[in-house]
Amino acid sequence: MSIELQTKQVFDSERMRHYLNGELSVLHCHHYSTLFTQLADDAQLLKGAKLLHEASAESFYPVLTKYYRENNVTSTEEKVAIAEQYYGFVGLGQVQLTLSDNGATAEMQHSHVDEGWIKKWGNREEPVNYIGQGFLAAAVAAINGNSTGSYSVKETQSIVAGAQTSQFTITKK
Amino acid sequence: MTTCVTGINREKAIQDLSKISVRGNEEGLIPAFGVLVQNLPANFWNLFSMKILQAAGKDLYEDAGGLLENAAAECGYHTGWGIVNSEEFKAVIGPMIQNAPEDVLHGAYAVFTAWGWANAEIVELVPGEKMVVRAYDYYESDVKDEFKPTKPFAYMIKGVCRAFMDIAYSDPYPNGFGKFKCEQTHGIELGDEYGEFVVTKA
Repeated sequence: MSIELQTKQVFDSERMRHYLNGELSVLHCHHYSTLFTQLADDAQLLKGAKLLHEASAESFYPVLTKYYRENNVTSTEEKVAIAEQYYGFVGLGQVQLTLSDNGATAEMQHSHVDEGWIKKWGNREEPVNYIGQGFLAAAVAAINGNSTGSYSVKETQSIVAGAQTSQFTITKK
Repeated sequence: MTTCVTGINREKAIQDLSKISVRGNEEGLIPAFGVLVQNLPANFWNLFSMKILQAAGKDLYEDAGGLLENAAAECGYHTGWGIVNSEEFKAVIGPMIQNAPEDVLHGAYAVFTAWGWANAEIVELVPGEKMVVRAYDYYESDVKDEFKPTKPFAYMIKGVCRAFMDIAYSDPYPNGFGKFKCEQTHGIELGDEYGEFVVTKA
C-alpha cells in the first residue's frame, strides 16, 4: 500500500478526554451502536434511519477533510486508501471503495454494525448499517471535494442478511 | 451505611487504564471485553441524540430519551461486566480491591473516566440501595454549544450508572439487568458546575 494512515492518540488527563488526530473520540461497544441503530430503525415516523445516516456523514466528513488537508493528501487513490484505513482503525470494519463516474461502489468484508447486530439479535433481511452508509457518503464527498450530503447511498447486499459481504452504491444526488 | 471510602487509587488507575491503546485488527474490528468496540468521534453520538430528540418534539421526547438511556444501560451492563472481569481490570484494579463489590464499583468509574465517557466518580454509596455519581466533565455536555437542552441530556451516563449498580448488586450477570433506575439531577449542559446522577432501586 502506497500510503499509511497516520494516527496520534492523546489522553488529556486534565479533562479526561481522548483525542484521535486532534478529534475528540470515545470508545463504545456494539450494544450501544446497535441499540442506536434499532432506535433509528424503529423511529420510522421521525425518519430515524436518515437521521443516523446524516449524523454519521456529518461527523466523519470533517474528520476526513481535515486529515487530507493537514497531511497534504491530494491524489484520489491516496484519499481512498486513507478513508478505508480510517474505517478499520476506528473499528467499523473492512471496506474497499471503488470510485466511478457518478459516485462509487463499496464492499465491506467486515462490518461492526452488522456483526454486532448478529451477535445481539441474529440475522435480519433489511440493511442496518446506517452508520456505515453515512461514512461512505462522507468519504466519497470528501474525496471528490464535494459538500457533505451531496451523495446518496444504497446498501444492495448485507452481512446482516447472511451475505458474505455488504455492498453499497454511492450516487451523486 | 453511606460510604465513599475506597481502597482504589483513582488517579493511578486512570493513569494506567487510559494508556490502553485500541485500534482495529486486520478485519477492521476491535473485539475486546467480550464485545465489539469502536472508537468514533464523540460528536457523532451527540449529533444523533440531538437530531432524534429534536425530531421527537414534545410528544415523543421522553420516549426517545428513554431509548437513548436504555442503549447506554445495555452497553454499560454487558461491556461493564466484560470490563470488570477482564485481565486488564484485574491487573490494574485487582490489587487495590479491599472491599467488594464497592471497590469494584469505584474501579469501574476509573475505567469510565479513563475511556473518556466522563470524568466521573462516586460521591455517595449506600451498598445495594443508592449511589450518587458526579461528573465534572463529559462529552454529552458539549451539546450546549449548539443545542440548548431544557432537560438533562446525559443519557449515556445515566444509563451506564444504573447498569453498574445492576452489576454490583442485582442478580448475577446476565440476569440482573434493569433493577435500578437513575435520575440526572444536575447537568453541565444546563448550566450547572457538574452533572449529578442518583441511582436507586427501580
